[in-house]
Amino acid sequence: MRHAGFTWHDGALLAQGLGVSLGLFAGTFLIGLILGSGAAVVRHFRVPALGTLLHTGLELLRNSPVLVQLFLVFFGVPALIHQPLTPVFAAGLTLSANTAAFVYFIAVAGLDAVGRDQVEAARAFGLSRIQLVRHILGPQALTFAVAPLVGLAVNQLQVTSLVSVIGVVDLTKAGDILNLRTLRPFAVWAMVGVLYFAAAKTLTLLGNRWERRLRAHAAPLGL
Amino acid sequence: MPFDLTVLTPHLDTLLAGALLTAGVCALGIAAAFALATALGVLAVGGGWAGRLARLYVDVFRNVPFVVQVFFLFYGLPEVGVYIDAFWTGVLALGLVGGAYGSDVVRSGILAIEPGVVEAAKVGGLSRPAIIRRIVLPIALRTAIRPLGSVFVNLVLSSSILSMITLDEVTGTARGVASETYRPFEVYAFLLAAYAGLTYAVSLGIDALHRRLNRHMADNGAARGAAPGAMEGTA
Repeated sequence: MRHAGFTWHDGALLAQGLGVSLGLFAGTFLIGLILGSGAAVVRHFRVPALGTLLHTGLELLRNSPVLVQLFLVFFGVPALIHQPLTPVFAAGLTLSANTAAFVYFIAVAGLDAVGRDQVEAARAFGLSRIQLVRHILGPQALTFAVAPLVGLAVNQLQVTSLVSVIGVVDLTKAGDILNLRTLRPFAVWAMVGVLYFAAAKTLTLLGNRWERRLRAHAAPLGL
Repeated sequence: MPFDLTVLTPHLDTLLAGALLTAGVCALGIAAAFALATALGVLAVGGGWAGRLARLYVDVFRNVPFVVQVFFLFYGLPEVGVYIDAFWTGVLALGLVGGAYGSDVVRSGILAIEPGVVEAAKVGGLSRPAIIRRIVLPIALRTAIRPLGSVFVNLVLSSSILSMITLDEVTGTARGVASETYRPFEVYAFLLAAYAGLTYAVSLGIDALHRRLNRHMADNGAARGAAPGAMEGTA
């Protein structure tokens, strides 16, 4: 006998899928954030060759479909190095690099928005480059970049839905599995959509709260 | 196996056929997205239930992954008796999501118009539709062309996802070529570069269009948002 109806176990399956999606998002976003802002700092100090190389590579990543990037890493790279990659590793690698590309362009804009005179003043006081980034450039660039970063985070959460193609059992794959058993695609995809929507909305809310906190010191005092 | 792009030469015509299908679905999708973005952008500025409904629409389509939307349209709708083939599902999905992202751009373009311009039109006795058509939209769309362009570039990238609903556009044909040649790295690397080249060409075209439409402006319309556009994506 085929069990075609929805059961309580399906809830667990969807919850597990959502957990994988959120975990993958959190991990790759964090790595992308570190790599992307690192590349932006390299670019900012005009490190010869390395800066241009990073810029070209990240521009290529930003201007190509994530799906093709996933295929290249999961199917292409193993064919080249004769070494299979696990789906989760390939997904993590691709999404981290993709996030880094978008973070890089946001961080470059943020760093450029900090006034030149401040950098010159810091140099005059004898601050090293590391101190300059940590105390002068970083905090201010972050204030400029926080709004686009929140938008990017919501976007990258949705991009994780693509990893189902290479066999990672995330929320979309869980919906796919559920759909195959119940044959009720209308209800299943609506449910999956609602779950993604709720997750994205929560993320936006948290991001906005963080943004308000970062900007609190810059807000006009209402004189 | 060393990296060798020449393995692709026998399959170039297959890939080209896929690329043409991508171009077709994207052109129709972008046209639909532009129309929807303009209409929604105008509605979202206003108050009342129409404005609230337009903002809700944008909220839903921006916060649900594109794959899930596509699956819903392609697999979900037949359950309630609506059948659309893969190509038109693709056009519809690109239009719906592009309209949502684009309407935000159009909306901020409208909000950036100086109120005095609209007030002058009102005093001049123009009706509301005439003000929107002859005053508001020409100004708003002119400033919105660059961010709209990056929304459309992202639609082209998102169209690769349509290969998941059996549409044999360029990513779909590339999958076929990869499994036929056993050279997935070459195939996908070539495809990645092709997409990047295409989107780069499109953004150059948009820059030229932007300059042409704003040629009478003192600063050539140089004033534009610093970061937005960079992360306006659809996935």
